[in-house]
Amino acid sequence: MSEYTVVGQKVARVDAVEKVTGAAQYGADVHPPGMLYGKIVRSKHAHANIRSIDTSEAEKLPGVRAIVTQDDVPSGRRVFATDKVLYLGEPLAAVAATDPDVAEEAAELVKIEYEVLPVVQDVMEAIQPSAPRLHGDATKDGPNRRGISTQIRRLSRDKENDHSDEISRLEAALEEYPDEVYYNISAESHSEAGDVEKGFAESDIVVEDTYVIPRVHQTYMEPHVSVASADSSGKITVWASTQGPFAIRSGIAGTLGIPLTQINVIGTTMGGGFGGRFGVIITHIPAVLLSQKTGRPVRVQMTREEEFIDGRPAPGCVIKIKTGATNEGHILAREALAFWDSGSVSGASIGSTIRVRGVYKIPNLKVDAYGVHTNKSGTAAYRAPGAPQAIFAGESQLDEIAERIGMDPVKFRLMNMREEGDLVPAGAEEPKVGYKETLEAVADAAGWWDREAEENQGWGVAVGDWTNGCGPGGVYVSVHEDGSVRIFHGSMDITGTDTMISQIIAEILTVPYGNVTIRRGDTDSAPYSTGSGGSVVTFTMGNTAKLAAEDAHQRILELASERLNMNVDNLELKEGAVHVVSADPPKSISLGELGAYSLSTTGGPIVGKGSFARQPSTPALAAQIAKVEVDPGTGRTRVLKLIASQDVGYAINPMAVEGQIEGGTVQGYAWAMMEEMQYGENGNVNPGFVDYRVPTSADLPTVESVIVEVPAPNGPYGAKGVGEPPITPTLATMANAVKDAIGVRVTELPIKPEKVVQALKSNGH
Amino acid sequence: MAKHPVSLKVNGDEYDLLIEPRKTLLAVLRDTIGLTGTKEGCSTGDCGACTVIVDGKAVTSCMVLGVTVSEKEITTIEGLASDGELHPLQQAFIDTGGYQCGFCTPGFIMASKALLDENPERSEEEFRYELGGNICRCTGYTKILEAVLKAAEEVRTSA
Repeated sequence: MSEYTVVGQKVARVDAVEKVTGAAQYGADVHPPGMLYGKIVRSKHAHANIRSIDTSEAEKLPGVRAIVTQDDVPSGRRVFATDKVLYLGEPLAAVAATDPDVAEEAAELVKIEYEVLPVVQDVMEAIQPSAPRLHGDATKDGPNRRGISTQIRRLSRDKENDHSDEISRLEAALEEYPDEVYYNISAESHSEAGDVEKGFAESDIVVEDTYVIPRVHQTYMEPHVSVASADSSGKITVWASTQGPFAIRSGIAGTLGIPLTQINVIGTTMGGGFGGRFGVIITHIPAVLLSQKTGRPVRVQMTREEEFIDGRPAPGCVIKIKTGATNEGHILAREALAFWDSGSVSGASIGSTIRVRGVYKIPNLKVDAYGVHTNKSGTAAYRAPGAPQAIFAGESQLDEIAERIGMDPVKFRLMNMREEGDLVPAGAEEPKVGYKETLEAVADAAGWWDREAEENQGWGVAVGDWTNGCGPGGVYVSVHEDGSVRIFHGSMDITGTDTMISQIIAEILTVPYGNVTIRRGDTDSAPYSTGSGGSVVTFTMGNTAKLAAEDAHQRILELASERLNMNVDNLELKEGAVHVVSADPPKSISLGELGAYSLSTTGGPIVGKGSFARQPSTPALAAQIAKVEVDPGTGRTRVLKLIASQDVGYAINPMAVEGQIEGGTVQGYAWAMMEEMQYGENGNVNPGFVDYRVPTSADLPTVESVIVEVPAPNGPYGAKGVGEPPITPTLATMANAVKDAIGVRVTELPIKPEKVVQALKSNGH
Repeated sequence: MAKHPVSLKVNGDEYDLLIEPRKTLLAVLRDTIGLTGTKEGCSTGDCGACTVIVDGKAVTSCMVLGVTVSEKEITTIEGLASDGELHPLQQAFIDTGGYQCGFCTPGFIMASKALLDENPERSEEEFRYELGGNICRCTGYTKILEAVLKAAEEVRTSA
């Protein structure tokens, strides 16, 4: 039996009733009196110079109240395009009107004159010298040239010795790579450990492949929306569906030159985020500008189509990867070169390319990654940003090696997995993580060791690692005169985190879960809180909640000591009352009595405060196994089994944790098998759910989840962040299962039926 | 744009309204009547977040014009609980953790209600197929199906 009574239990969520009755208030449900409807005017071309923007016709439409453009942005930060648009759907202006249909009509009436420019949408084309340039002449040396250039610079700096011969030799070598200059580069990242050339030379088997991962949309069900209201004093209130209200406050302050205290951001119930709802995005500034101009509240709400053409999806990428191993199955070296499609601005999570190292002892590692500009919208985080892409390449290639050396894929992984104290390639020392336990757990649950497959059926396995972030947070806990407990904080609930906070505080104050209520404040009232993403909330707010509850606990004991005239050391808080230890007859005082007593004491009411910012976190592993059946005629893949295990440290609410594992795994499945933002000559061509297919219940079997608990030293009750890890291995899990079923590897996601048929044909079927 | 008189019966209440013919039932429910429990997820009838029940049938209210449903019986998520008692589906979604962000939940519950009212004797496979018009991005559907099967069981045994 658990030593805890509330923590570790599958309690119903604190927001349960409002969510099943339609009472929860999401962004688009906010409707202040006199509210106007905003609409963003968008570019109709993927790459064009703007000759003119004429709003006069739109202004004449009855019901139109204001139109704003970049001229209305005091800081000059790019909110709307002015002289050049870089992707289809880029905002050029925004309209406010008394009716949403009128706003849409008015947006169509804004006349834009374009001078159309050549478009580039493929990363491998964009890096070529012949590609159209999005931002002047952004070029970078490729990894070979870069390495040599660095050496030349280093030698040239050493004036004490003569390196002229060596420098000449290197300069000649540089000439050997004349084509390794990449164009349209937005960012780069490089890591190295050991000597990969030596590692490959010592390997018995070297495998080299190129993997292609598409751009996919987070597809939170609630499209982006913000409501802004500027009052006559200049105070701005913004209702936003966001993962982080405090970042919006600072973003608005910076863009519009307004002090923080003049902006209040109210986070509304969030209809999914998955990383796509961070900071100031698309709708916030237009809503504020329109409200400032009209003096009325304005709602700017995106349609699903706008989400696809102007959302901030996950970047696609091309990863060239090479791995060397011995015949006995020891991985000796791995090298990766990745080109990430960052769209019109930088920001793709290229640093995550390092995750090709996986959780394995790879003594020699070299990773080079570039962000590449294309004529698409910018990108943003999506559940473990960058990891699913890199891990897809790494884990797919591991299976190729396992197959060539004739080793079971699970055994091959177990053999190479890092253990406590091993050095993470290009990283620090590995702490205790349940890598092997998690993989063994999923293998056992799936029946991997005596698995059977009929014709056209296959099994796939993969693992993915991720480490939760952490950030600042604050929590207050009040204990009232009736013994009830109220929690106050500023972090957005991301599918269950308010429940987790409530469980922890109920546990520590030994009150029933039902006696605890939780309230989230806005940025005017709540203590600062980091955004809810990066799997930070359980780690950060869980620790913060513990500190707040422990602070209240201390005050409760002090009050009881005063009231009962007993030393604190002889008192114990349990079952909602302070008891005198081993008193006979028993003697106690309830929390309610103490709450009431506190109101007339010198110390005052019981208020516990918790404040937290940073502690080292511990990696987590997700391991998954899929069994599939492929129809060789149609190429359709059907999932027969999908089982996901995860080292969660400690499951504070197992029901919520299972939900995260199941949901993340299905998102990974979708990325592997279905989803892809497609681009034609003039931008995105599948901006809706008919052409951009996301999974429905009809596409899937029951996803089984297996919780593994290897406690994290600094996590609350040993908990780790659970939201992101489950998406990381699924892309490779599915690809490995399809490979096992058809004997040919599909290296380009998603594995749609036509690709399976093509792969089979190329293999002589 | 000229407005037309309609008489809507929503959750047992009558609303005499003047609406533009281009306004969808979803827009009328949310913007005119102020029942915001019904959600707009795609505006093209593909995600099911706006599902309501019209004369016993589940429909995506973004695909129905308000002027076409005059005098019909409309039930939205707000009309499901009665006398402070949650509908078995609502309770089952809570008990199984069948929702996360909750944005698709009203649509899922209304689509499931129409199915249960019509025939609660369905297999998981059949429910999975029938609910294929509703998209959930958070749960991966496992716990939604658990909820619907649990509620179906309850409806069957109490019938």
